[in-house]
Amino acid sequence: MARGLMQRSREFAAIGRIAGIGIGLVLAITVPARATKLYVQSREAMGTKFTIYLYAASEGQADAAFEASFDEIERLDRTLSNYNPESELSRINRLAGREWVTTDPEIFSLLQTCLAYSKRSGGTFDITVGPLMRAWGFFRGQGHYPTARELEQAREKTGWEKVQLDAATRAVHFAVPGMELDPGGIGKGYAVDRVVVLLRAAGVKVAMVDAGSSTLYAMGAPPGEKGWLVRVPKPGDRSKTIAAVLLKDESLSTSGSYEKFFQLNGRTYCHIMDPRTGAPVEGMLQTSVIAADGTTTEALSKPMFVMGTDEGAKYLASFPHVAGLWVTGKVDSAQVVPWNWPGCMGDCGSSLTGDRERKTKTQ
Amino acid sequence: MSEIDRRKFMGNAAGALAGALLVAGCKEAPKSVAPYSGPQVRLGIIGVGSRGQELMRTFLRVPGARFAGLCDVYEPRFAPGRGITGEETPIYRDYREMLAAKDIDAVIVATPLSMHAEHIIAALESGRHVYGEKSMAFTVEGCDGIVEAVKRTGKHYQVGLQYTYATWYRDALRRIREGKLGQITQINACWHRNNNWRRAVADPNDKKLERLINWRMYKEYSLGLLAELGSHHIGFANQVFGGYPESVVGSGGIDYWKDGRETYDNVQVTFRYPGGQTLLFSSMTTNALEGAQLRVYGTEGSAVMTEGDGMLYYEAKKLKASAVTQLLIDHGIITGASFMPEMPYRGKGEAVPLPEDVTGNANYLACESFVRGILTNQRPEADEKAGWAEAVSVVLGNKAIEEGKRIWFREYVGKKSGA
Repeated sequence: MARGLMQRSREFAAIGRIAGIGIGLVLAITVPARATKLYVQSREAMGTKFTIYLYAASEGQADAAFEASFDEIERLDRTLSNYNPESELSRINRLAGREWVTTDPEIFSLLQTCLAYSKRSGGTFDITVGPLMRAWGFFRGQGHYPTARELEQAREKTGWEKVQLDAATRAVHFAVPGMELDPGGIGKGYAVDRVVVLLRAAGVKVAMVDAGSSTLYAMGAPPGEKGWLVRVPKPGDRSKTIAAVLLKDESLSTSGSYEKFFQLNGRTYCHIMDPRTGAPVEGMLQTSVIAADGTTTEALSKPMFVMGTDEGAKYLASFPHVAGLWVTGKVDSAQVVPWNWPGCMGDCGSSLTGDRERKTKTQ
Repeated sequence: MSEIDRRKFMGNAAGALAGALLVAGCKEAPKSVAPYSGPQVRLGIIGVGSRGQELMRTFLRVPGARFAGLCDVYEPRFAPGRGITGEETPIYRDYREMLAAKDIDAVIVATPLSMHAEHIIAALESGRHVYGEKSMAFTVEGCDGIVEAVKRTGKHYQVGLQYTYATWYRDALRRIREGKLGQITQINACWHRNNNWRRAVADPNDKKLERLINWRMYKEYSLGLLAELGSHHIGFANQVFGGYPESVVGSGGIDYWKDGRETYDNVQVTFRYPGGQTLLFSSMTTNALEGAQLRVYGTEGSAVMTEGDGMLYYEAKKLKASAVTQLLIDHGIITGASFMPEMPYRGKGEAVPLPEDVTGNANYLACESFVRGILTNQRPEADEKAGWAEAVSVVLGNKAIEEGKRIWFREYVGKKSGA
C-alpha cells in the first residue's frame, strides 16, 4: 500500500525552515541541537501524507521510531478505511444494518468516543454523514444539489443516535439498514495520538507528528525553543499567515472548506455537512483548534465549523485548555475570530521565536 | 463454511431482547435484535509480538472470544497486549505456567517457528485446542509430532493458513475443482518486497534482543522467506494439486542485504507434484513490482490470486477443423512476409465474485472459524493435515535451497508422518 511510498529518512540541519508542509509548520530553531539531530520521514496513509519530525541520537534510533510509527499508522489505515473492503470498519458497515457486530476493544472504544462527541456537540460531530455526503455528490467528485426525496432518503440513513453500542459484548448495530460509519473526522487524530504514545515509548522526547497538516501534535520543544512554531495560513493562500502559535505537548487541528466544494447558482457548498440540517455549512472558511490530544482536536474542529463563532465558543468553553480560531466569510474578505488563542495574530514575524511565554487560559 | 452454521452461531441469542432495543422513530425493526450472549471461548496466547497482537485484535472481533492469558518472554509485550484486550489480562513469562491455568480453553501460538512444535504439542497435551501460526513446525519431526498429538488428544489444531478461509480463494478453488480452468499444470507464485525485512530494535547494540526481535533472519529460529512468505502459496498449491510435492529443487542467497542475517534475502523454489504438476515460488526483497500473487495455469484458463482479490482469464478457444471450398484452391493462396509476436494476454479478466455479505477478511474468517469450531465441535478445515503438507514442503524446500540439490520427499517422510 503506502509502504512503497516511504520517503527515506533525511537528516536536517537543526536550523532554518521546512517549507511547504502542512498548514505552514515552521521550525523556529535558533540553537542547533548537540546530542540529537532532527530527522524526518513521510508516508502516505489515510488518504493523506503523514510526516513525522523527530530528534534522535542516531539515524538508527530515528529509523526504529519511524518504523514503529508508520507501521501503526498503516495498521490503523487498514482497520479504519471505509474504502478498503477488508477493513474492520467496512465489515461493520456491511453487517451492522442486519445484525449485531462484535468488534475489538480499540474500535469499540473509538466508536464510543465518537458517539460521546456527537452527543456532547448536539449532533454537529457525526460519523454517519456518509449518505448525506453522497447525496450532495461529494463521493462522486461532482457537486449535486439533491432533490427533497434524495435528501430525505439520505437523512433516514444518517444520525449518530441510530448507532447502537452494547458495551458488554463490544457489539455495534445500526437501527436503520444502509447506514455507514466514516471515522474520517477523528481517525487521523487518533492515529496521531497512537504515534505519540509509541514515540514516547521509544524514548523520543521531541517530535512533531503531522497528519496531512490538518492535525498536528507537538511533542516537547525543539532544542532552545519553547515550542514548535505552527502557522495558520490564510484560506486559499498558504503563503500568507493569519495567526501563529507555539505548541508544546498539545495538538492543533484545522478544518477548511476551500479545498473540497462546488458552486451552484452563485452559492458555494463545501464538503463539511451540518448533520442537523443535512446541508453543507455556508459562510465558514476554516477553523483551527488547540487541545491536549489529536483525537480531541479533530473531534472539535468540525463542530466549531458547523456551529460558527458564538455557539462554537460556548462549546469550546466546556473543554479544559482549549483554544480556537475561526475564519469566516469569503476568501477575499475573510474575518478571523480568535477565542482564547494563545499565539499571535497576523504574520507574526519572529515575535514567537523570542522569549515569549505561551499563556494558556482556561475557562 | 456453512452460512447456516454461522448464522446459528451468530444469532443464537437473537430474539431474546426483541423489541427492547428498537430506536424510537425507526420505520422498521432490525432483524437481529440482540448482541451475542452465547458461550465464551477463553484464549491464551503464547507470543505477543506483532503477529500475535494482530491475531488478538482479530480474535476479539469474534463473538464469544476473550483473552484469559498472555505469555511472552519479552516484558515490553505485555503492556500493548493488555492494551488490546482492554483488561488486566493475566500475564505469564513461562508458557507452562499459562498452560497450568484452569481458565483457558484454547491457545494461540505465535512464537518463532523453531518453537512452534514445543508450544503446540504442550498446549494440545494440556487439553487445549490450538491455533498455530504458520508454518506448522521447524522440522519434519516437529510436524509429525503435532499430527500425532492431535490424534492422541482429539483436540482441534488449526494452522494459520488464513487464505483457506478467504472467499475469493475458496471460489477460485471450487471453479478449479469443477474443471473451469481445464487441467491445471502449473502454479507460479511469488512474494516480492522491496525492504530489508528487518524489524527495528530499540537498542541495536543489544545482540540478544536483536536476535529475539529479528528471529526471522536467523537459522536457529527460522526457515526464512520460504516459511514466512511462501507458506500461503504452498498451502493453496497443495489444495489445488491435492496432497504434497514429491520433489523440490531450490536456490537462494544473501545477495543484497549483507547485514549479518543468516536466512536468504531471495529464494527460488520448484516443487514437482506426483501428478506431473509444478509450483514455482520466488521471493525477493529488492523489488515489489509483482507483490504477493499466485497464478494458476490450466489448459482452459488461468486464475490470478492476490491478498485481496482474484481474477480469472480464459484461454482462446481452440479452432476446430472446418471445410474449405474449392474457391480457395482455384483462387490460390497468397504468400508474403508475416510475423505475429506471442505477446502476453492483456485483455480483460473476470473477477472472482466477492459476496456482498462477506463477514470479514481472511484473518477474521480464519479466527471466527476456529472459535466456531470449538463451540460447535467442528474440526478445522486448515487442520493438522493441511499444516503438515505445507510445513513439510517448506522444510524440504529449504533443505533443497541449502544443499543445492533435488530433494525427494519420500526420503524424509516416514510412515509415522502425517502423509
